[in-house]
Amino acid sequence: VEASSKILIILATFFLWQGSIFAQRADTIKIKTIDVIAEKPPEAYKVSQLDSIAIRQSTNLSELLNTNSPIFVKTYGSGSLASVSFRGTGASHTSVLWNGVVLNSPMNGQVDFSLFPTPFVDNVELNYGASGLINGTGALGGSVAMNNSIKFNKGHHTSLQQNIGSFGTSISNGKFGYANQKWFLESQLYYNTSKNNFTYTNIALKENPKTTQSNAETEQFGLQQAVFRKFRSSKLGVRFWYFNSDRQLPNNMLVNNDIGSQSETQVDESYRTIIEWSGFTSRLSYKITSAYLKDKLIYNNETSKIHSNSNTYIYDNKVITSYYLNNNFIIKNNISIRYELARADGFIESHNRFNNHWLLGINKQIKRFDASVFNRFVWVGDQTQLISPSIGLQYKLLHNKNLKVKANAAINYNYPTFNDLYWSIGGNENLTPEKSEMIELGLNYVKTINKSTMNTELTTFYSHVYDWIIWLPTSSSIWSPTNLREVENKGLEYSLKLNTSYHKLKISFNSNYAYTLSTNLKAKNNYDNSVNKQLIYVPYHQINYLLVLALKNYQFSYTYNYTGKRFISTDNNWYLPANFISNIRLSKTVKINPKTGVDMGFKINNLFNQDYQAMAWRAMPGRNYLFTFTFQFN
Amino acid sequence: MRAIIYTLIITILFSCKKNELGPQCINCSDKETNTEIADLLILNEGNFGWGNGSLSLYKPNLHTITNNVYQQANNNIALGDVAQSAFQFKDYIYVVANNSNKIEVINKNNFQSTGTISGFNSPRYFLPVSDNKAYVSDLYSNSIQIVDLSNNSITGNISTNGWTEELLIYNDTVYVCDMTNDKLLIINPANDLLINSINLGRQPNSIVKDKNNKLWILCDGGINQMNPKLIKFNPQTRAIEATLTFSSITDSPNQLSINSNGDNLYFINSNIYKMSINDLALPSSPIITSNNNNFYGLGIDPLQENIYVADAIDYVQNGIVFRYSSSANLIDQFYVGIIPGKFLFIE
Repeated sequence: VEASSKILIILATFFLWQGSIFAQRADTIKIKTIDVIAEKPPEAYKVSQLDSIAIRQSTNLSELLNTNSPIFVKTYGSGSLASVSFRGTGASHTSVLWNGVVLNSPMNGQVDFSLFPTPFVDNVELNYGASGLINGTGALGGSVAMNNSIKFNKGHHTSLQQNIGSFGTSISNGKFGYANQKWFLESQLYYNTSKNNFTYTNIALKENPKTTQSNAETEQFGLQQAVFRKFRSSKLGVRFWYFNSDRQLPNNMLVNNDIGSQSETQVDESYRTIIEWSGFTSRLSYKITSAYLKDKLIYNNETSKIHSNSNTYIYDNKVITSYYLNNNFIIKNNISIRYELARADGFIESHNRFNNHWLLGINKQIKRFDASVFNRFVWVGDQTQLISPSIGLQYKLLHNKNLKVKANAAINYNYPTFNDLYWSIGGNENLTPEKSEMIELGLNYVKTINKSTMNTELTTFYSHVYDWIIWLPTSSSIWSPTNLREVENKGLEYSLKLNTSYHKLKISFNSNYAYTLSTNLKAKNNYDNSVNKQLIYVPYHQINYLLVLALKNYQFSYTYNYTGKRFISTDNNWYLPANFISNIRLSKTVKINPKTGVDMGFKINNLFNQDYQAMAWRAMPGRNYLFTFTFQFN
Repeated sequence: MRAIIYTLIITILFSCKKNELGPQCINCSDKETNTEIADLLILNEGNFGWGNGSLSLYKPNLHTITNNVYQQANNNIALGDVAQSAFQFKDYIYVVANNSNKIEVINKNNFQSTGTISGFNSPRYFLPVSDNKAYVSDLYSNSIQIVDLSNNSITGNISTNGWTEELLIYNDTVYVCDMTNDKLLIINPANDLLINSINLGRQPNSIVKDKNNKLWILCDGGINQMNPKLIKFNPQTRAIEATLTFSSITDSPNQLSINSNGDNLYFINSNIYKMSINDLALPSSPIITSNNNNFYGLGIDPLQENIYVADAIDYVQNGIVFRYSSSANLIDQFYVGIIPGKFLFIE
């Protein structure tokens, strides 16, 4: 990838933008500030937010979710494919959204979380179980929503960041923003390269040699641009995100790294554009978006001479409205018209379909109750689903209203992907949608004493997934998908957030625990030993926490992640042992003048140099370091 | 504050557990196993890229199965990624690990590895062609590799054009299934030169020799490309003596096997079929019906002509092996490793 030339072009474009920004400043008109009410999920839903403090500790979304949430991240190693799953469901049961637009590929239903650097998002919202329904089809487990914030009237803001790390890692990021009362402009550039040539003890080979990971180089380049204009009671804007990733795909630990080794590479390129108009009239809040997503994936395997090209195109249009009958009674009406098209070497011809839905429902508060009832009408390809409901109830148990009980129930569907339907050879056009019925019950308690706050939540969940699609060989040895699997997921999630201070020391602590029982209910034949067994790669126990201590200009953070034993065969005869990974980070901020600051950070990943495998026989790096230098100008 | 301290303590406790590294097996016995003549070695392929290929040992007289014998005998070292095929030569078992690009040389008595032949591209089948020379067919390298068995190294190759599969030696001549070009390659192992190539059906995958020294080659027809064929070939005249064509293009027969007398042929075509070498047509009904099983491996025991059939079930769990008598009565069934694909009867 000719990244340097790309950077030059992008920088040139940026400076042209800056020119127009300065021109804009001249004719600033004073307008009344009207805060447009954001799309807020119903109170009863289980939603957790990852803020900038957490986001800053991680380099990409995969790492962020692994260390800050109870959802499971399945990763092939640093820079390699990473997928996430909620509550024992699959990777394609997680909807991933960027400013409200679902990014999941219509080909495999998934998103690769290693392709989302944290500097490109301002906050991340996790919607668990039933609450995933509000974001669209397919979220049988939940959804991950990445959002960017827009703040008018902030003036200039520039931040330049350079990270240097182990194994030839270099990450550069620049953010240039300007906002007056009318305009918000923001440009971001990102470049990441890593050799990932770490050395590990190869326990797969005789005499456990020290092996250096090869064929694992990654290079990523990204650009994000936002332009928003504020009007009296609305705002109109456009966001653009370009991302290009070029990486080698390393082999597992059993593959001899000499002449015979396969050299696999993958290029991912995405163009994402969203035009958004949102606003508020006396009783109505609305958001109208139109998005175009274009993704390209080029897979190359030199050994097997496979060169495959996949292209997907999505046009996603939404009208989201909330009508306020009064302060306590809201009618929600969301219409989404989405057209998906895929052209790929794996298909005989190109395939397209509409993937539309219409959500209608109410959210009403009655004294200490907050109730919401929604139904989604789904229309995918030539199939329709009239009823997929969600009901949520919240009740404030105590008079001071700090103890809440929440209950949710929903039915959701996930439609087969283009690969499931049309892959040549093997695709099965007779598949039916996967269906999930779920209920959850939770308790939330918030307590504030002086300067300390505690927010703790305990949730138990149950879901039953029918017609789960799995690929298996047929009698003629062709792998083909069928609606064969039926799964029961149950478990609990506990989270504890504390913010306190001790003299001048500010302490923030955010922890999660998840217990997941994910059981296969259906046998393939009489000899199938997978019935009533835990699904593979679903850990029973997961714990993570982030502890941040801030004193004056110093900040210290500690992240801990425990991933329990998970089975790697469906009969539960084989498992990967638990692993626990700690990272620490120390940073210092220096104000050069009121408008200029420098932040220096030093991070140690895998502090205790644990030897572990996140996936069977996939090498993971030992202790490694990342130095971060950030310049901020306002 | 107190909550933070408790959490820290609990997580530290979690950190103090026994240190296990890499994939662990729950039902694998830790007893050492020694091999005897007529024991059955089951080669479990494992999933591509998952590194879970393994060996299981079945004792036909005792009806006992021991799984994961290679890892037990070798300090828990993994066997390889996709254990494709195995061949016994003298006191060694040569296990071809396709995606590990290697052949593991294993002592047949105690399963200890005595050497590794590495440097392959995508090896499939191993065949000794003389006392210290072997050929290895290959999926992607466009060549058959020549291995020096005295020092376990690759010494050269014979150019081919594409995917080569099973090999057979008869009368100092090597016969190779050429999947890509639908041919039978005939090679002189004395000088490693290609003598001739014979047109067969689409994708010849397996080859056996009968008691009359005729070769039988099974062509799977590709994935819905052509009707599969079973071909009888005379190596003396190099002429095709019979071509039996399967009725459906969706048939996908594989694993052509023969009994030790060399008069009964067996193969998988969803079900298990048996036919005599004198039959003039393909068998119309199976000897063993698959029902809901997905038969993946087939082996014919050389002593009693017992039929061993493997079912990989969902391909992500330990597969099952059914042992039938020569008249197809079920004698025994036992679970082995993940994706059992090949059987090797220890001599």
